Parts: sequence; structure tokens; C-alpha cells
Amino acid sequence: MSEVSDEGTAAPGGAGTPPEGWEAPRERWLSTVVSPAFGPRSVLLEVAVRLLVPSVLVFSVFLLVAGHDRPGGGFAGGLVASMAFVLRYIAGGRHELAAGMPLKPNTLLAGGLLLSGVTAGFPLISGGDLLEVIKHSAELPVFGKVTFASYLAFEAGVFLIVVGLVLSVVAALGARMEAEEEEVRAGRRRRRARNKGGPR
Amino acid sequence: MSTLLAIPFLVPVLGAAAALLLRSYRRGQQAVAVVTLALVVLAAAALVRRTADGTVLTSQGGGWPAPLGITIAADPLTALLLLVSSVVLLVVLLYAIGQDTAGLSRATPAVFHPIYLVLTAGVCLSFLAGDLFNLFVGFEIMLTASYALITQAPTRARVRASMIYTVVSLTSSILFLTGIALVYGVTGTVNLADIAVRLGGAPDALRTVLALLFLVVFGIKAAIVPMHFWLPDSYPVALTRISAIFAALLTKVAVYAVIRTQTLLFARDDIAPVIMWLAIATMIVGILGALVQDDVNRIMSFALVSHIGFMLFGLALGSVAGLAGVIVYLVHHIVVQAALFLVNGLIRQYVGHTSLRALRGLTAISPVLALLFFLPAMSLAGLPPMSGFVAKVALFQAGAQAGGWLAWTGVAAGVATSLLTLMAIFRVWVRAFWGVPLPDVVEAGERLQGRRSGGALLMAGATGAMVALGLALAAASGPLTALAFTAAEDLISGQAYLQAVLGGAS
Repeated sequence: MSEVSDEGTAAPGGAGTPPEGWEAPRERWLSTVVSPAFGPRSVLLEVAVRLLVPSVLVFSVFLLVAGHDRPGGGFAGGLVASMAFVLRYIAGGRHELAAGMPLKPNTLLAGGLLLSGVTAGFPLISGGDLLEVIKHSAELPVFGKVTFASYLAFEAGVFLIVVGLVLSVVAALGARMEAEEEEVRAGRRRRRARNKGGPR
Repeated sequence: MSTLLAIPFLVPVLGAAAALLLRSYRRGQQAVAVVTLALVVLAAAALVRRTADGTVLTSQGGGWPAPLGITIAADPLTALLLLVSSVVLLVVLLYAIGQDTAGLSRATPAVFHPIYLVLTAGVCLSFLAGDLFNLFVGFEIMLTASYALITQAPTRARVRASMIYTVVSLTSSILFLTGIALVYGVTGTVNLADIAVRLGGAPDALRTVLALLFLVVFGIKAAIVPMHFWLPDSYPVALTRISAIFAALLTKVAVYAVIRTQTLLFARDDIAPVIMWLAIATMIVGILGALVQDDVNRIMSFALVSHIGFMLFGLALGSVAGLAGVIVYLVHHIVVQAALFLVNGLIRQYVGHTSLRALRGLTAISPVLALLFFLPAMSLAGLPPMSGFVAKVALFQAGAQAGGWLAWTGVAAGVATSLLTLMAIFRVWVRAFWGVPLPDVVEAGERLQGRRSGGALLMAGATGAMVALGLALAAASGPLTALAFTAAEDLISGQAYLQAVLGGAS
């Protein structure tokens, strides 16, 4: 008798998922079934993330484009963009991170390296120097006079490298460890159940 | 010309990206890596041909003139080291491909190839960098790749060793960055040629402090005694292909950086005696360590530390002959050290370990293996027909020319170290190769007869190629020495370098 009641209280707050408190949201704010990386679910965090992520991503693109004569650039933009993904991971756990990633981190890294490398080496073909800038100005209907320069492509490559790197670190040190820990816990729970069942 | 200078680091970066994209096609990755390294070898060979008469090639990144642009420069020393390093990288890659094809390795090739190419880019950028900060970047690319490589196929011992390795390297990197900040504070520039000009006006004491700081920074990475303790702990436990590259190249890149900074930036008389004492200590302590080890890989690691001392000795002499000796020694040591570590890898592959306690009679089961060990080992000890002999004679002659009791002490220490190296090698030879084979060695030999695949042949072939390269160096010692003298004259006068970097701009 006591055994049944013991199992009953242990199950909902089981070692795998944290207990749900009054903070837990009733609606779904994120795109997957949420099990946060740390602590219980919180409506405040989930709503804030839902609202912030798009604007953070837009801001990161602004930093990338503004970088040539104002503070910013590919590195800063990439860090800000990867923070958007880290936010989703903190609020929603590893499934949310996987759902939010456009490509595998390795592919992002490789794409960024290729883009930056090719842009850096491109002027060499026409006998120029490494990293030489190719500029082109154009009159656009809405924006007025706009200058396109090859460093934007280089910086975009840096942007992709930074995002890919941060995502692969989060995937390796956060999500994968979380998954492994869950497995270990499930194994321990099974073993405990078996041991408990055995002697009786 | 800019293209030629950019290929050695740009192409490996692109190759790494391509290999990362191809991670599910092992054949494709291998092809990309081989083609990339072959291109680097070709570019390096072209650079050697162009710089053979002492010209310095430069390129300014971004098209800005010298102190502002990102300077990339290749003098004869850089070109020669690029060529040797890229050939060694290519041969070790072939060994690794053989090992993967035979299914004998636990490393994940999907990660190995991209990181290996990134390491190549870092090594090449370090050689070519024309400013201090780019040198730092090249070092960091190389080291970051090496942190990932040393933990391939992780075991408890490898993770422990990599912790030591990473912490020590990071400490040295922090000091390096501090040094760059101090140099920038004194001179207001990070361009090597520009620093060389402006540091001339700085107070003597300040220059000595900076020179010592950079000696410590690169001394940690080059494993100069008393800063060598991390090397024999970390290199031997890594996978063969990786410890071979680490032993052959990483410490030599640091030695190159010592040579570049101490000849170009700082006045030679400032700390030459300090370098000489460090050289003597490195030679003696290293080889005494090698004599008491029980594992072939650890013996070779201590011998590696010891022989860094020879290069410092030539640098401390500060003469053209001394530096030429150092350059010949660098080239010889890169090839021989890589060959020895590959042979140790073959022993580990055949028998399962490299401990002297449980090895006997390897000659009986594989005479070819014995020969492959014997030739580079004799070269390391410096016996006459080998490249090691040429390099050592060049150094000792330079020492005798320089005269003075300190130089003679250095020569004496060098001769003693050579004899002790011979003793350490004979210890390995007598205990591991001679005698009646132990039962499990015989068993390993029988297993070897039964299993002969293309991959295993490629491994043995790559090792043979590396040994042959060492012999070729001995045969080509005439042209090599001539090239080394040209490079050394460039280094001592420094004028060609300054002219090429700064003169073209103004």
C-alpha cells in the first residue's frame, strides 16, 4: 500500500522534469513542447522570449550592415543573433533549440568560412591584394544613394561563423549533456524501480 | 605574387570548409584534404624558388600601405619552412588516410580532416605573418586546432594530458597578448618591420625586458627548459598522426617565432648569454630525461626537448654561420622527428604499445620496421652520412668560429648531448629490436603476416617516404646549406626585410 502512494507522489515531480508551479503558462508561447534547460517553466520568460527573439534578430542584421563606419560588424552581429537562439534554449530547452536552428551548426560554420574566404581571396584573381574592397554605388528608389561593398559579404561570413560556433557550443555543452543526463536519470529510475520490486 | 603568398593559408581555410560540408563522405574529405595540401606544397615550392636569392616578397592586405595594412611577408627562411612543413603535413595526412582505410583508428575522420586543415592554415599564417598581431592570430588558429586534435579518440589519459597542454598554452597566449600590448604602448605599431625601426629609439632596459618577455612566451610553446614540463606529458599520449605533427611542427613554429623576434626586433647582444645558458640547460636536461624513460614515445619526446637546445645555441651565437646552422637543423629536425613518431605509431599498431619493458626482438618479426627506425634515429643522433650530422657540424663550426668560453661550453654541451642521444637510441635498439622475440611480440608478428591491406601498406609507405625525405635532405645538403646561408644573411642584416615591407610603401 505504502509502495503505491510513494510512486504516486514521485511521478509528476519526477527527477526528469522540474515541478510546475503557479508560474507555468497555460497557453503555448514557443514552438515546441517546452521543457526548459534550467528550473521550472515561467510564463514571464516564455512571453519575453517570444517577443524578443524577432527583434533581437533584426537588431543583429542592423549591426551587421551598420558595421562599416559605426560600431558593429559581423562579429558583434553574430554574437547578438546567437543570443536569440540561446534565449530560446534557456526558455524552451533543447527541443526548442533544435526547432529554431535553420541549419546544422557545422553547415553554418562551413558556409561562413567559404563566404569569408572567397570574398577575401576574390581580388587576387584580378591581380589585386588580399581583402581588397570592391565598391559599387547605386541610386535606389526608396533608399536613395546606397553603396555596396565587398566587405559586407566578408562580414556576413564572419556573422555565420560566429552563429555557427556559438550554436555548436550550446548544442555540445548544453543540449547534448542535457540529453545524456536525462538518459542517465531514466536508467537510474528504472534500476531503482527494479530493486524496489525485487525483494518483495 | 600576392596570390602565391595567400595560397598557403587561404586554401586550407577553404578546404576546411569544404571538408566540413562533406562530412558524411569520407572519400570526398580525404580527396579535398590531399588536394589542398598538394596545392600548398606547390605554392611553397614556388616561393622557395622566388626567394632563393634572398629577395623578400610582401603583400599588403586590403591594399593599404605597410604600417596600416595587414602585412604578409616571405623571406627565404619562411619559404623554406613552409615547404618542409607542408610536405610533412601531406605525408602524415597520407599515413592517417591509410590508417582510416585499414580501419585501425578510433578517431572520427569526419572531424579530423577539417581541423587538420585549420591547423595547416594556422601554421602557414604564423610563418607568413608580417605583423605581431597576425603572428598571434596564426598561433591561436594553430593552437585552437591542436586543442581539438589532442583529444581525438578521448581516453582518461588523453583528457588529462590535454588539460595540461591547454592550460599551459593559454597561459603563454595571455603573456603573448600582454607583450603585444606593451610593444604597442612603446612603439605605437604592431607591424614587425615598423617595430624594428621604432624600437631602436627605445631605452635599453625596456628593450631587454620586452625581449625577455617574448623569449618566455615562445619559450613555453617551444618547450625550452625550465618551461618544457608539459611536452613529454602531453605529446606521447595523443594519436600517432597527431603527435607526429605536433612534435614535428608546433614547437618549430615557436622556434621560428623566437628567431624572427630576436633577430628582427631586438638587438642581439642584449640577451644572447641568457639564450646560450637556456640552450645548454635545454640540451642537457632534455637528454637526461630521455635516458631514464621506459616508453619509446616518451624517449622521443624528451629527445625533442633536448634538440630544441641546438637551435637556441645557434641563435645565441648571433652570427650568419650560427643562424644558417639553425635553419639547416630546423629543416632536418622537422623531417626526422615526424619520421620517428610515425615509426613509433607503426610499432604501437603492430604490437599494441611502445613500452620498452614488454618489447623484444622486433627485428626478427619485421626487418623493414627496424630499418625505418634505425635510419632517422641515427640521423637524430648525428652520425656522419645523415642530415643530422650536416646540421650539427654546421652549428659546431659556427660555435668554434665565435670563440669565447661560453660558445665553447655550448659546443661541449652539444657534443655531450649528441653522445647521450646515441646512448638513448641504443637503449631502445638493444631492448626493443634485438634479442629473442617475446611471445606476444611473435604473436603480433603472426597477426601481421595474416593481415595485409592497402591501408596498412599506405601507412608503411608514408612512413617510408618520410624516412626517405630525411635521406634526401642529407643528399641535398649542399644546396640546402647555401639556401640557409642566404636566409641567415637576410635575418642578420634585416635590411632586405625592412626595405621590402616599408620601402615599397613610401
